[in-house]
Amino acid sequence: MSIDLTQVEDLVSVERGEIDRRIFSDPDIFEQEMEQIFGRAWLFLCHESQLRKTGDFFEAPMGRDNVLVVRQKDGTLRALLNTCAHRGNAVCRAEEGNTKNFMCTYHGWTYDLAGNLIGVPGLDQFYQGDLDRSQHGLRSVAQLDTYKGFIFGTMDPTAPPLDVYLGATGRLGLDLIAARGDMEVLPGIQKFIIDCNWKFTVDNLFDWYHPQITHMSAFQTGLLGGPGQLPEVPPLLIDSSGAATPDGKELVLPGGGRSADSIVIVGEYGHAISGPSVAASPVGFNHEWRNRPEAQEALGPVGLTVAGHPSIFPTAWVAITTQLSLRIPRTPMQTEVWWFTFVDRNATPEEKGLATFMANHAFGPAGLLEQEDGENWAQASKQTVGFSSRKMPQLLKMNLGRGKVIKEDGLARIESSTNEHGQLWTYAAWAQYMRGATWEEIRAATTPGDYL
Amino acid sequence: MTVDERQVGDLTEMLTHFEVERFLYKEAALLDSHQYAEWLELFAEDVHYFMPLRRTRSKRELDQEFTKPGEMAWFDDNKGVLAGRVAKLATGTAWAEDPPSRTRHLITNVRVVEDTGLEVRVDSNFHLYRTRLKSEERSWIGSRQDTLRRVESGFLIAKRTILLEQTVLLSANLSNFF
Repeated sequence: MSIDLTQVEDLVSVERGEIDRRIFSDPDIFEQEMEQIFGRAWLFLCHESQLRKTGDFFEAPMGRDNVLVVRQKDGTLRALLNTCAHRGNAVCRAEEGNTKNFMCTYHGWTYDLAGNLIGVPGLDQFYQGDLDRSQHGLRSVAQLDTYKGFIFGTMDPTAPPLDVYLGATGRLGLDLIAARGDMEVLPGIQKFIIDCNWKFTVDNLFDWYHPQITHMSAFQTGLLGGPGQLPEVPPLLIDSSGAATPDGKELVLPGGGRSADSIVIVGEYGHAISGPSVAASPVGFNHEWRNRPEAQEALGPVGLTVAGHPSIFPTAWVAITTQLSLRIPRTPMQTEVWWFTFVDRNATPEEKGLATFMANHAFGPAGLLEQEDGENWAQASKQTVGFSSRKMPQLLKMNLGRGKVIKEDGLARIESSTNEHGQLWTYAAWAQYMRGATWEEIRAATTPGDYL
Repeated sequence: MTVDERQVGDLTEMLTHFEVERFLYKEAALLDSHQYAEWLELFAEDVHYFMPLRRTRSKRELDQEFTKPGEMAWFDDNKGVLAGRVAKLATGTAWAEDPPSRTRHLITNVRVVEDTGLEVRVDSNFHLYRTRLKSEERSWIGSRQDTLRRVESGFLIAKRTILLEQTVLLSANLSNFF
């Protein structure tokens, strides 16, 4: 049974809080995502601090395309498709580094940092000079722009400007890193592969319902408070009977947060933030940076109360650990996860050490939290294939219809207990991109109403 | 035939090599039989257990292939963190290892690089093979640089640096020890 792609918005029911499971494994859906989402949306590529010197480059994914983000001689940035104009070979095979130019190792076509074709072996001898080099440079992304050092690109020349695309919600998400100081990326981008559909990895970033179960063992170690700090082990939250009490099980967010104090912000083009307020956020995270005048101004009164987690549609997650994670679709059933870690250049060695400790031990494949996540997503992805299993909807019904949207400070927020509004908002936007809606239509359809 | 000095040196080296191998194989057996508490006892209090990230770099920039301490890593643990990881596995709620993975550590190419008397620097290669659930299969191959400290009971691991042969990690997690 193939999916009717002309009716793709029927696969997401915001009214019922139900998602058709087939969107997580259907190959036609995946192809459509590559075109309608990853071929159009602004995508995070890397951070300016990774490209300080002329010739510094970093290879970043845009869907299944790879682009080289390159610092130019005049200090500007370019993002070039990493494929030779001649016969397609990648012109650069290192993940990052510094170079004078990019030479294709197939036939030697050579491009300067701006992507201009500056050298063709045998141009006179073999082509008899009959090749217009100016027409065969490396292809650039359609638009490239930055927001406070975060570099984004889009393959769509008609996409709205980055600032408009991000809107107040997307900008706040990035400000939750940028407003902490003079932020730079710590060397080393963790990159690993999970056998799951990319949407599970995005969906989960909003999900503050799962930590107390999925990550129970991590909280029991008490390690996430920081090095040398071993808080007493919280009590066991479930036993071998699971959550099988008449009322389920009263859950407490291990780490100190109270699950009832949740703030959701939803914005145009599909960006959303979901998680605890600062007052209810897990222990072990320093919020003193919010007192900086720059932070007060950048975040505003509502933003200052938000601890996380923002999602920049479609795949960038700003984590509470001062990290940005990309969830990169490779195949319908394979997702690559990248972690960029940010530290304040002016922080003390102790502060940097603590930030690095938290980043290295919370997320990533050996992280005490993220060790457990992959198996949930892999198993959930597998169960979207079975003939009978795939007919069951994914449920996002928590607090459905009860989320009163408060519009204030340029943001649309919901204050409630733990909920699934962020996920549903993302899928609703997903459906709009997927049906091929114009940018005006997407904006209109993702403008928050009065209730979710 | 009398035993000359060179042969005495060889015999001493052989004995050290035998002790080191016996220690490393015992360690691997503890891991593969999920005896993590006993495994933890093999580490010195001041241990640094470090697995850096590895990056595909051009040959002329190969000095920047691995991240350094203070940068991002797969593992950057002291004894307290290792103890936390072991405690996590013992909770009964560490779902990534419940049902437990089936692992086999193959330790090979053991070389004593330096022996100061107090400490022995040992390089070895490893192949960690893992299957999980019905059909998940993972393999990690790499090398380890160990500093083994001589103590009354034998050795304690005072430093372990693990170098994986993967850059993009081809697995969803690293819930096992190396």
